[in-house]
Amino acid sequence: MSLRVLNPNAEVLNKSAALHMNINAAKGLQDVLKTNLGPKGTIKMLVGGAGDIKLTKDGNTLLKEMQIQNPTAIMIARTAVAQDDISGDGTTSTVLFIGELMKQSERYIDEGMHPRVLVDGFEIAKRATLQFLEKFKTPVVMGSEPDKEILKMVARTTLRTKLYEGLADQLTDIVVNAVLCVQKPDEPIDLFMVEIMHMRHKFDVDTRLVEGLVLDHGSRHPDMKRRAENCYILTCNVSLEYEKSEINAGFFYSNAEQREAMVAAERRSVDERVKKIIELKNKVCAGNDSNFVVINQKGIDPPSLHLLQQAGIVALRRAKRRNMERLVLACGGEAVNSVDDLTPDCLGWAGLVYEHVLGEDKYTFVENVRHPHSCTILIKGPNDHTIAQIKDAVRDGLRAVKNTIEDEAVILGAGAFEVAARQHLINEVKKTVQGRAQLGVEAFADALLVVPKTLAENSGLDTQDVIIGLTGEHDRGNIVGLNQQTGEPMDPQMEGIFDNYSVKRQIINSGPVIASQLLLVDEVIRAGRNMRKPT
Amino acid sequence: MREIVTVQVGSFANFIGSHFWNFQDEMLGLAADPYGDPVFKIQSLNMDVIYRTGETHQGTTSYTPRLLSIDFQGSLGSVSSKGTLYSEGSNEPSEVVTWAGHVSTHASELQNKNLFLQSLYQEEQDVALTNGNNGEAKDSQHEIQDTDIVRCLDEGVQFWTDFSKVHYHPQSLYEVNGLWMDVKQFDNYGIGRDVFMENLRGEEICDKLRFFVEECDHIQGFQFIVDDSGGFSPLAADFLESVSDEYTNTPVLLYAVRGPSSHMSLSSRKQTVVRDLHDAVSFSRLSSFCKMIVPVGLPSLSRSKTSTFLNIKDENPYHCSAVYAAALHSTSLPFRMEPLGPTADLSDVFGAVDVNGFVQMLAGQSRQNMVAILDVAMPSPCLSGKQDKQSLLRNLQPLTPEVAEDVDDLQAVESMIMHGAIGSVQEVIAYQFLKLRMQSMVHMNVQPQGQCSAIYQQLVALSQFLCHSLQSLVILSASMVSCWEAQS
Repeated sequence: MSLRVLNPNAEVLNKSAALHMNINAAKGLQDVLKTNLGPKGTIKMLVGGAGDIKLTKDGNTLLKEMQIQNPTAIMIARTAVAQDDISGDGTTSTVLFIGELMKQSERYIDEGMHPRVLVDGFEIAKRATLQFLEKFKTPVVMGSEPDKEILKMVARTTLRTKLYEGLADQLTDIVVNAVLCVQKPDEPIDLFMVEIMHMRHKFDVDTRLVEGLVLDHGSRHPDMKRRAENCYILTCNVSLEYEKSEINAGFFYSNAEQREAMVAAERRSVDERVKKIIELKNKVCAGNDSNFVVINQKGIDPPSLHLLQQAGIVALRRAKRRNMERLVLACGGEAVNSVDDLTPDCLGWAGLVYEHVLGEDKYTFVENVRHPHSCTILIKGPNDHTIAQIKDAVRDGLRAVKNTIEDEAVILGAGAFEVAARQHLINEVKKTVQGRAQLGVEAFADALLVVPKTLAENSGLDTQDVIIGLTGEHDRGNIVGLNQQTGEPMDPQMEGIFDNYSVKRQIINSGPVIASQLLLVDEVIRAGRNMRKPT
Repeated sequence: MREIVTVQVGSFANFIGSHFWNFQDEMLGLAADPYGDPVFKIQSLNMDVIYRTGETHQGTTSYTPRLLSIDFQGSLGSVSSKGTLYSEGSNEPSEVVTWAGHVSTHASELQNKNLFLQSLYQEEQDVALTNGNNGEAKDSQHEIQDTDIVRCLDEGVQFWTDFSKVHYHPQSLYEVNGLWMDVKQFDNYGIGRDVFMENLRGEEICDKLRFFVEECDHIQGFQFIVDDSGGFSPLAADFLESVSDEYTNTPVLLYAVRGPSSHMSLSSRKQTVVRDLHDAVSFSRLSSFCKMIVPVGLPSLSRSKTSTFLNIKDENPYHCSAVYAAALHSTSLPFRMEPLGPTADLSDVFGAVDVNGFVQMLAGQSRQNMVAILDVAMPSPCLSGKQDKQSLLRNLQPLTPEVAEDVDDLQAVESMIMHGAIGSVQEVIAYQFLKLRMQSMVHMNVQPQGQCSAIYQQLVALSQFLCHSLQSLVILSASMVSCWEAQS
């Protein structure tokens, strides 16, 4: 064939070989991630070549740590990671679903069915499932008085799949309160306004919500106050360090006075800026016992620091850009770009600003603010991998709460939706489909069961019994999910297990697309540039 | 205090950097050694410019490079990404406080320390026990091992940490994960285009940089070493864009380096086209975000003048990067020198200039002259006696590829750094030499004329006065950086 003429080293796989290669790749990836699913899953400890440890229960993190070579697996991994970007969760479920779709298809294709027919069936099933999802979801009241209980249950469900129960419950309140804090009416929730800060602490595994900010640096002058109450906060982006001019000029002086004059002239522009800040401080702090804190996005050099310290001002330099936004949201005031029009209105306020030192790391806490619209979740842990794991879990929790508020709906969890959807497809939708596409619908429906099956497997239960039990209950009209302790069906609403609507929607949307593309592959050609070299 | 933050992006850049920091470590050690040669106790060379003091979690003081290094996942070899000083408590990996259920461990193959790193570790333990007064027995034991160590480094270096003596701060090391591609596939500009933006990598990298910049009282500039042979170029370009955004007035001095592998003969026309495209796009993007760019990296060092005295194997990045690192070390010396006041003695070290001044001198006001050529003469030829005055210039080998040699350069601005000239005063001298905007240049075969000749003669006279013979030092090199007006 023409390709072999161009590149004699090209490898070509024909139809059934191509199909099996793709199916095996999907299965392989599924096997790796299968044990991750649910609160009874296995956490993976990855030990690097140099002894580095990473702990993860998150499919997304695990995929990124893996070295994946197989192109099919890379495609599936990309889809799954995109899932995480869009909805914040469901990576593991996506990979499982795609793998299962491929597995189920293999059965039918081996019996002689054409993949195109299967794919048509998938299409129909997908549309029907999405419609079913709309009816199945449980609407939730959000708006100005959000239903906090539901939010807590959603957060707890997510957190319990990443951390052990006690810790997950501890974090639930924190996560919900954090999101509610940054929520602004009529605007999408910006989760970047919740900062996640961490500190190493030998014995403590403690996390708390700081209604205010925790900055990861401190003031750089040894005599500045370490603790100040009742503070005005100036958030600014003004360079307070001496910058040499662009023009190449030389200075010549012949005695000490001239040199002094030269030095003073060089520093004049910076000193004037500092003086204006000091003027403002004197204006607002006259006669009361307030303090003044300057948080600058640009640099502050030692002479300027000294001037500020002498005026009793606490100054931090080189703050993160995000922290500037957060400061304004937390403390009020506005971020100032120039010292020319400083008025007391551009100042924010915080009840307490103090510094905490851990070795060479300094943390500045800005707390007791009046109307916090930005907050910080402070995580403490004994080592880096513990902290990383809690961070991942907190991020997922935040995302789950955000999704719920924006979707204004939740889905009953513990596999309830999957079983219900499957019964709907088998009992009602299949009948309306003509011809062999029916089998495609059946394959899709069976693939949906991968979630409850995996949950059962991870709990050490018998999957057959579990499925029979669940489908039986559903046929009797009860919406049930799996109780992983007992293996019996249970009511997810009673147990408070809820999933996100947008996550499920995204999984059902993207899974069949990838699976269909892979199933319709006729030929796999490997003829890359690297293969041109003579072997 | 005028600090510099160094950033190394890409594998070959990290090889060069590893040698660079080894040199600094060597110099620090020699300066601190009470029995060492006083030649190394250079008061006016301030290492705090490129190093930072810190404190580990146990409270011990640390002195680590002010460095951010970016490379592939797994490229750190046997060194943990938390560095070597700050890692404690890693002996109890089985502590999983956050999960009550099953834990499955996937351990990748343990990278063992090679002989060199083992011997360093051994030394550290020994020093801790015997306080540095090694007995004869120990020496002979090390003798036997030395040849093995040299061989293991010569032949077996896989990662840039394999030959690194330096302890790095945890915030210095960043590995790019989630790429899902081989090192070989990451070899052109297009592949790496989105890497910086994806997955919050950009934020993490900028945060690490911010950690080092925040503690600088008055940063004089960034020193970027970028591996320009593949996917790290767009990553560096995006990074530079955000750096120029956040640190607007801080100059960036960029060395665009190419390893020996990127110069492998390209077999097909398509590959040549791809490579040329990469070069063009990468150069234009990188140069737009820095004040001065110095392309470095010859196709073959073993076929250049440097091979007169050095035995270099081209295919071995461990060899080639050493020469480039020596040149970089020399060019960075003026940045670390304390500027002298007007009453200073000429016999002291002089020639301090900061990054901004350096760049302004060479690149001028306009941005047309922002590309510079790096030359090196390693070792530097003897300057005393009735030597041929041109021998210095003749010995200089450009490390910048595709440069025409022996060409008249009428408008060159050059900066020359020479170090290792020892005088009867027993001081190491590093001085910088400027020929500003000369109308006629020092030609290979022509007597030097005009302004430059006076300065050049002064140089020779000075060196005659100061040194009767050049004693050999560990590093002895002269580098000349010149730039030319860009062709339209």
